Formats: sequence, structure tokens, C-alpha cells
Amino acid sequence: MKVVLKDLVKGFKSADAFAVNRINLEIDQGELAVLLGPSGCGKTTTLRMIAGLEQPDSGRIYIAERDITDLAPKDRRVAMVFQNFSMYPTMNVYDNIAFPLHAIKMDRKEIDRTVREVARLVNIDQLLERSLRQVSGGEAQRVALARAMVRRPEVFLMDEPLSNLDAKLRVQLRTEIKRLHQDTGTTFIFVTHDQEEAMTLGDKIIVMNRGDIQQVGTPHEVFFTPRNAFVANFVGTPSMNMLPGSLRVEETGRIFVALPGFELELPRRFAAGLRRMSSHHVIWGIRPEAIRLVSAPGGNCVPGLVELVEALGSRDLMFVRAHDQLFGVIVDALDSVAAGETCLLHFDGAHMHLFDAASELSLLLDE
Amino acid sequence: MAVPVRERALAYAILIAMAVLVLIPVLAGSLTAFKPQIIWISSPPVWFFQPTLENFEFVLITRQNWLHLRNSLIISIGSVLIALALGVPAAYGFARFRFRGSRGLMQWLISLRMIPPIVVGLPFYAMFLFLERSTGLGLRDTHFGLILTYQTFLLPLVIWMMRGYFVELPAAMEESAMVEGYTRIGALRRVVLPVVWPGIVATALLNFIFAWNEFFLALILAGNNTSTLPMAAGTYVVRARVEWGNLFAVNLIIMMPVIVLTIFLRQQLVKGLTFGILE
Ligand SMILES: Nc1ncnc2c1ncn2[C@@H]1O[C@H](COP(=O)(O)OP(=O)(O)OP(=O)(O)O)[C@@H](O)[C@H]1O
Ligand SMILES: [Mg+2]
Repeated sequence: MKVVLKDLVKGFKSADAFAVNRINLEIDQGELAVLLGPSGCGKTTTLRMIAGLEQPDSGRIYIAERDITDLAPKDRRVAMVFQNFSMYPTMNVYDNIAFPLHAIKMDRKEIDRTVREVARLVNIDQLLERSLRQVSGGEAQRVALARAMVRRPEVFLMDEPLSNLDAKLRVQLRTEIKRLHQDTGTTFIFVTHDQEEAMTLGDKIIVMNRGDIQQVGTPHEVFFTPRNAFVANFVGTPSMNMLPGSLRVEETGRIFVALPGFELELPRRFAAGLRRMSSHHVIWGIRPEAIRLVSAPGGNCVPGLVELVEALGSRDLMFVRAHDQLFGVIVDALDSVAAGETCLLHFDGAHMHLFDAASELSLLLDE
Repeated sequence: MAVPVRERALAYAILIAMAVLVLIPVLAGSLTAFKPQIIWISSPPVWFFQPTLENFEFVLITRQNWLHLRNSLIISIGSVLIALALGVPAAYGFARFRFRGSRGLMQWLISLRMIPPIVVGLPFYAMFLFLERSTGLGLRDTHFGLILTYQTFLLPLVIWMMRGYFVELPAAMEESAMVEGYTRIGALRRVVLPVVWPGIVATALLNFIFAWNEFFLALILAGNNTSTLPMAAGTYVVRARVEWGNLFAVNLIIMMPVIVLTIFLRQQLVKGLTFGILE
């Protein structure tokens, strides 16, 4: 079902800043939306307000056009998977999954059929008789998924359900959640601070920071056209190379950015954004993947010294010092340059990002 | 965790020595309870004799201590049930919610545990007397009056112990149940209480022992209708003469429920008292 958050505000007495600061958000029916942001940015608080476990100071929450702001959690037809908690310790796997069904007084036969069906969906049908002590962390989290699904909720809320699992299991369960989402067609809201998880899972990514929504967009959009410097820096690993700079426009219309120690020419697509600037101070950025190694010097080329190389598998992450600045550069492992050697970096204007130093907003916003 | 054999042997040796030290007086006393009157205080003590139940018969029937036994049971069980009924929900509230003055209130409750009974006993007596004179509400020498008085000590103990158990549990446990279709009360009943059940058993037992053994408040507030077993035991120590056999017979009756309950609830008790420590 469609989820709408309207002017949602939540503060805690003990904290001086608002945990969630007037956010507005629409998540469409059947969408898998990911709330992404650093620790303490208000993701869990937002999710808990949707679940009804936290009451907003002001603002409204709608699910399928129904105002649920004042409903008890049990009446909201949502399900939630928690980060650190997955099973009721006094019940076995079967009873855990059946537990939500007892609340709606379903008859035994129907419960049994539903439990077995859902267990099969998350591949734990052979564990049904086990107790809490006999299941692994990953299996326990599957039980939590099954229990959440068993009542066919209208909205599925997940608060970092994979963060306590080891890397391999995390990737495996991530795929299963994606499949579950496709099979059920339910609206999912998934919270994570792991941007790789967000990228691979989300239809829509909502980047949050300090209780505010920074950007809403597809994984592609938040990666390639970050709305502001925070999103640019937070999304992508290793993160974007960013430097402070100042702009210089020649009479001919050519635009340059002066960075510490060197100057680069900018493409004309920044011209429109330039007119909105109040000063010439900017934050310039380029992703490690967008920097090229070239053999012959030319425009926007800078010589550098390779300080360190980290193998990422088929690709290498090189740390290159150029004009006293350290750049992360990702290249094909075959093209890698060894530490201690020099190389020539080329910054392609098409991949550059510019942000107003005062507002931190991207100069490429079309508004 | 594997403990080396020598260390384990040492640990057992110490435990056995301590047990013997504690048990000898208890055993010697208990033995006396089964001795006929002529050998109660024979010196040297007689170890082998034909055991008799005449002391028990004397105290329970002739001296009508079965009435005291009944009073003790009513007052102890009543006190524990009321303390649990009020204290468990209160403990949950203290564990889960912050409200104005919640910390101060908790500290005050804990400090109540340290008050000597005499500080409470006399004011209660005065209060009961005043109530009786002004409203005709008689609480002196009633079971309920003593049960009420005991709450001063039992309620803080229940709240303090149970709060510890609730704090240990992740709030997500009942929150999860609340999202899954239950009210908070429903979640508490279906999910939280089964988990803290060993804790409730341990709490109940410790509180029962307190109420069961309590002597001082009963001395002040109980009368002919409500006098308890520990008070009955007192009647066998008269000036220069102690009726040893009768005294130990009553003592054994006093110890019995505690021993039986502890043995029956052994597993729950260990679980409850080591909650969260052993896994
Ligand atoms: N119960 C609470 N009492 C006081 N402050 C709280 C409470 N819950 C959250 N906060 C504060 O609100 C802010 C947002 O917290 P929230 O748990 O929503 O962050 P989060 O984005 O989920 O972080 P994480 O990734 O670490 O889980 C934080 O600054 C946090 O300290
Ligand atoms: Mg969180």
C-alpha cells in the first residue's frame, strides 16, 4: 500500500536536536524503499513512527490513504523486523511463526497451513520443530521474516535486519528479501546504513542525515546525480574525492575551478547552476571510478605519485598523491600502477560534481 | 568451560565444609525435635534413640500451634500474592518508561528495604489504632492488617528484583508482539511473562521466606487471632526454662515449607537468581 509521511516531527527529551525534523515522503504501492543514512540520522525513529511504536510530535502518517497516526501498532496492518531481536525465546520456531495468527483467532488448521506455507517461502520448513537454541543467527532472522509475513501485512518494515549477520549470509539473505518483495508485491521499507545494501535492494533510496531527508531517488540517481555534498560523499564506496575550490569564468565563457595547487576546466553544463551561486566558493568532486589513467599529458591532466594500492578483486583502489592532495582512484587491476611509481590522472569533466560551498547544493539541480 | 579436576575438587571440598558447618546445628536441633522429653537436654547428647512425634503432637494440638501455622500460611501467601500483583506491573513500568520522578521513586523504594522493622512497626500500630478509633475500621489483629504492613518490605523487593529481569529483556520483544496484533498487556502476558517466569518464581520464594520468617512486625501488630509461627516458637523460651524439644518441633515446622519449596522450585530458582549471568 502507498505510504505517505506528512510533516513528520519527532524529538526526544534527552536530545537537543530533533531525531526526525519535518520530513515529507511518499512510498508507492509495491515499492521497495530504502532509508539510508549514517548512524543517528533518524532512520529507526521514522520506521518506529510508521509502526506506531513511537508517537510523532506533529505530522501525519497515511497508509493507503488511511490516516493511521493515532492507531495502535496492532491496528496498522504493518509488520516489522527488528535489528537485534528475532525470536520469542519461550516458543519454538513453529509457534513463533504462528504467534501473530493467534491474535486474529484463526483456526488451528488454517494456522498450520499458513505457517508451513510461509516457512517454505523463506526456506525454514525443515526447522519448524526446533527451539531458539537450535537455530543459527541467519535462521533466526528468517524466522523473523516468516513471522512478519504470516499476516500478509500491507507494509513491511525492516530495521537493519541483516546487520548482525556475517558478510556472506548478509548477501544471501539480501537476495532472498529482494525475491520475497517480488513474490509478495508488498510495500517494503528497509532501513540500513550500508549503502551497498541500499543500492542493491532499493527501487527507491531515501538518503537521510540529521533527521532530514537529503535526497529521494533511484539508486542510479543518488549515485550519479547527488543533490548535495552530503549525498555525494555518503553514497558510494570508496567515497567521492572532494576538494574545496573557487570558480573563475573567462570572457569567452569557459569555466575553471581553482583547487588547492591546480586548476581544472569545467564543462558548460555547469553554466546554468553558476547563475544561482551567491559566491564563487564551491566544493568540487569526482568519483574514484571516474578518474582515468592516461599516458600523454593534456587538458585536465595531473601527474601524481601512487602511495598505496588496495586490491578489490578484479579492480584496484589506488591512492595517488597529486599536488599534495590524496585521490582515491579505481582502475582495472590490469592497468594498475605499483606503489611508489608515478602516473598521470585525467579528470573527465562529464563526471565532475560541483556544490555551492554555502548551501552544499549541487549546481546541476534544475530548479 | 572446562574446570581442571584439582580446582573442581577444591571447590567441592570448600562447599561441603561450608554445608556441614551450616547444617550441624540445624541437624542437631532437628534431631531434638524427635526426642522424648527426658533426653532433650541430656548430657552428653544422645544420638541414638527411638524417634517420637510427641513433641509435634504437643505443639500442634495441645498448644494449638496449628492455628499459628494457619495464620502464617494465610499471611505469607496473601502478602506474596498482593506484592506480586502490584509489584510486577510496577516493576515493568519502571523498567520500560521514564516519567517525572521515576528515578527518585525507584531510589526511595530501594531505600525502604533498609529501614529496620521497628521504625515501621510502631507507626503502623499507631495508625491502625487511630483508624480504628476514628472510622471503626479494625486492622489490628487481622490477617489483612499484617499483609498490608508487610507490603512495606515486600513491594520494594518485588519491584527491585523484577525490574532487573525486565530491564534485561529487549524492548523489541513486546514491541514486536504489539506490531503483530497484540496490545501491550497482551504482549506482556503472552511473551514477556513466560520469559521472566523463573524470575517471578525466585522473587515469590524470597518474599515468601521474608514474610514467613518475619517476627518483629508480627509481635507488634498481631494479636490472639493472627499470631504467627515464629511468635509461637517464642513461647517455648520462657525465662530460665527452654522447652527444647517443643521449640525445635516448631522450628522444623517453620523450616519445612521453605525447604520443600526450594527443592521443588530448584531449577526455576537457579534460573531466576542467575538470570542473564549463565547462558
Ligand atoms: N528513546 C530515545 N531517547 C532519546 N534519544 C533517542 C531515542 N531514540 C533515538 N534517539 C536519538 O534520536 C536520534 C535518531 O535516532 P535513530 O535511532 O532514529 O537513528 P538511526 O538512524 O536509526 O541510527 P542507527 O543507524 O545507529 O540505528 C539519535 O540522535 C538518537 O540518539
Ligand atoms: Mg537504527
